[in-house]
Amino acid sequence: MSELAVLIEESATRLFEGFADSDAHVTMESGKFPEKLWADFLADGWLRTMLSEDNDGAGLGLAGGMLLMRLAGYYNVPLPVVESLTGLYLAAEAGLELEDELLIPVVLPAIVNGNSRIELCGVPWARYAKGLVVAFEVDGKTQLVNIKAGQFSLVEGNNMAGEARDDVSFDASLLASSKPLNNISTEQVRSWLALGRAAQMAGALRSVLERTVEYANERSQFGRQIGKFQAVQLQLAVQAEMTSASICAVDAAIKHLGSTEEWELIASAKITTSESAGYAAKTAHAVHAAIGFTQEYPLQLSTRRLWSWRDEYGSETQWSAKLGEHCLQLKTDNLWSWLTTQTGS
Amino acid sequence: MKKLNFEPVITAEKEATLRQEVREFLAGYGAFKASDVIDSWSVCDPEFSRAIAAKGWLGMTWPTEYGGGGKSYLERYVVIEELLAAGAPVGAHWVADRQSGPLLLRFGTEEQRQAFLPKVVKGECFFAIGMSEPNSGSDLASIKTKAEKVDGGWIVNGSKIWTSWAHACHQMITLVRTAPPSDNRHAGLSQFIVDLNAEGMTVRPIVTLAGEKHFNEIFFDNVFVPDNRVVGNLNEGWSQVMAELAFERSGPERFLSSYQLLEASIKEIRQAGLSKQSSKVIGEFVARLMVLRQMSLSVANQLQEGKLPINEASVVKDLGTSFEQELPEAMRLILDIEPRSSAEDGVERMLSDAILKAPSFSLRGGTREILRGIIARGLGLR
Repeated sequence: MSELAVLIEESATRLFEGFADSDAHVTMESGKFPEKLWADFLADGWLRTMLSEDNDGAGLGLAGGMLLMRLAGYYNVPLPVVESLTGLYLAAEAGLELEDELLIPVVLPAIVNGNSRIELCGVPWARYAKGLVVAFEVDGKTQLVNIKAGQFSLVEGNNMAGEARDDVSFDASLLASSKPLNNISTEQVRSWLALGRAAQMAGALRSVLERTVEYANERSQFGRQIGKFQAVQLQLAVQAEMTSASICAVDAAIKHLGSTEEWELIASAKITTSESAGYAAKTAHAVHAAIGFTQEYPLQLSTRRLWSWRDEYGSETQWSAKLGEHCLQLKTDNLWSWLTTQTGS
Repeated sequence: MKKLNFEPVITAEKEATLRQEVREFLAGYGAFKASDVIDSWSVCDPEFSRAIAAKGWLGMTWPTEYGGGGKSYLERYVVIEELLAAGAPVGAHWVADRQSGPLLLRFGTEEQRQAFLPKVVKGECFFAIGMSEPNSGSDLASIKTKAEKVDGGWIVNGSKIWTSWAHACHQMITLVRTAPPSDNRHAGLSQFIVDLNAEGMTVRPIVTLAGEKHFNEIFFDNVFVPDNRVVGNLNEGWSQVMAELAFERSGPERFLSSYQLLEASIKEIRQAGLSKQSSKVIGEFVARLMVLRQMSLSVANQLQEGKLPINEASVVKDLGTSFEQELPEAMRLILDIEPRSSAEDGVERMLSDAILKAPSFSLRGGTREILRGIIARGLGLR
C-alpha cells in the first residue's frame, strides 16, 4: 500500500468505525440525512480531500479521494462520499464559489438542444443537495453550472440499498449561466464517477469476504465448522479471487489517473467490480443462509449496496460494450500493442 | 485471514526498450504457423529456443556466473509475455527456463549448477518434469517410483506419466520415494536429476485428444542415478516441489495460451462488421485480460522483492486458466464460423485448436480444485 493510502486509511478508519454503532443507517433509510455523521465528516475536512491546498483542501487529488471512497465502501458509510467529493472538486476546477456543502455532480447526455426542461433520472442524494453541479458539452468544450436547491424540482426514489436516487428536472435556461470547465471532458467526469463507485464496491467486496470467511469459521453444522466443507471452501476461494481482482483493478485505475489510458483502466475496474458484486453477494448469502437474509444482520448493508452500485454509473454490460468497441476500432497493429501501453510500455 | 496482495506495477523505460527489442526480433523471425500458435508453450522448436538463447532471453534472471542474464523478474516477464502473445514456439526450453534452472539455483549444488545452467542458457539442455505417475495425479505425495541406495548412487524403479517433451529433452527433475511411506506422507521424497538417455529408461508417447504428441509415459528399469544428482536435501523433496510449483503458477502462460484466438477473432469481427453483442463480449474479455496482466506483473514484482507470494500465484493461475478456457467458448458464439481441424490457417483452425487443447489448461501445474484448496487455506478455512 502506498504511503498516501496508509495515511488516509488510518485517519478515516477512526471516523468510519465510530459510526458503525450509531443509528446513521436507520436515519438514512428512513429518509433523513445523517446530519451528525455528515457534520463529523466535514469537521475532519474529508469533503475537501481532493481539493488543492490553494482551495483549503488536503491536496490529495482524485487518487486520494478514490482511496477514501474505497474505505467508505468497506464501512457501508451512509453518506454521499463519491458524489460530494467529486461535486466539490468540479466546482473548484470551474472556479465556482466553494462552501462546505453537498454538491451533486451530474453529466448531461450529449443532446439537450430544443428541450425547455432538463429531466434526469435517479440523481444520487439530490433531495439533500445544496446544488447540482451539472456538466455538459457545448461545441466540444465542457461547461459547468450549479443548479441550486430550489431551482430544481424532484420526485423521490431509492436504490436497493435505500440510498436516495431522485428524478430531477429544471429549466434548461439555467444552463446559460454556466462556466467553462477547462481541461476536463464530460466523458472524464462520467468515468471518475464510475471509478468512485468501483472503489466503493472494492471496499464492500472486501468487507463481504471478511465477514463471510469469519462466519464460515464460526458456524457449525453436522458437527464441524461449515468452512471445513470443501464445497464451501471452493466457493469462498473463488469469491476471494474475484475480490482481489477487483481491488487490483481499482488500484491500477487509481494509479493511472491523469494518464492517457485513464478511461480504459477505469472501464476494466468497473467491469471487474460489477461482475464480482453478483458472485460475492450470492456466495455470501449462501454461506450465511437464513441469518444473512435478515435486516438485523449487517451483511445486507453491503450486499444491497453491491447490487445497486454494480449498475450505477454504467453496468459491466455498458462498459464492456464501450471498451470492446474501442478495441475493435484500434488504430494500432493489434490489440496486444495497445494492451501493453497500460503497464508502462 | 492473510490479505492477498496485488499492488499494481508500472514498468520503467528499461522494460519498454526490451519489449521493443523482442518485437523487432519477432518481426524479423517471420510468422508462426497458425497451427502452432495456440498453447505455443507446448510447441517444441529447439531451433527457435536457440535463436532466443542467442538474444540472451533464456535464464535471464540467473546470475551471470552461470551464463545467466542477471536481469530482473520484470524484464523476464516482459520477454516471455511478448513471446507468448505472439504465439512463439517456446516449449523446448520452457520448463528448464521457468522452473528447473531456478530450482537448481535454490537447492542445487555448485557442481550441478555449473554442469547444467550454462547449457540451458545456450538452449542446449532441455528439462522435463517428472512428477505425476499413473494413479498419482493431484495427489503427488502418493507416488510410488522408488529409489534404493547402492554404492555411489541410487537405483530407480517405477514410472512417470504426462511428461511433456521427454523424448526431446535431455534431463528430467524426477520426484522419487527415497524412504518408505510413514505417518507424514510428505516425508521421504527426494528430487533427482535423471538423464533421459540413461540405461534402463523407456520413453513411450501418449497422443492427446488434439492429436499432439508431447505427452509421454516413462519407465525406469533399474536406472542408476549417481549421488551427485540428488537435488537439495534427501527426503525433503516435498517442500522443494512446493516452492517450484509456486514459481510456475503466476506467469503470463497461465492466461495467454489461447490469446492468439482473441487477436484473430478481432480481425474477423472487424471484417464482418461490429455488433453490440460482439463489442460487449470482446470488451468483457479484454477487461479480464487487463486485470490478469496487472496481477501477474505484480506477482513478478513481489518475486523480485524476494517475497514468496504462493497464494497470489494460485489466484493468478485459477483466474487465468478460466480466462483462457472460456475465451474459445465465447468467441465461437460471436464468430459466424465453424471450427475446422483440417484448416491450415485462420481463425477456423485456431478455434479448433483452442477448444481441443483447453481442457488441459486447468489441469497442468495443479488442478483448479487444488489451487482453490490452497487459497482456502490462505483464507484460514483449512
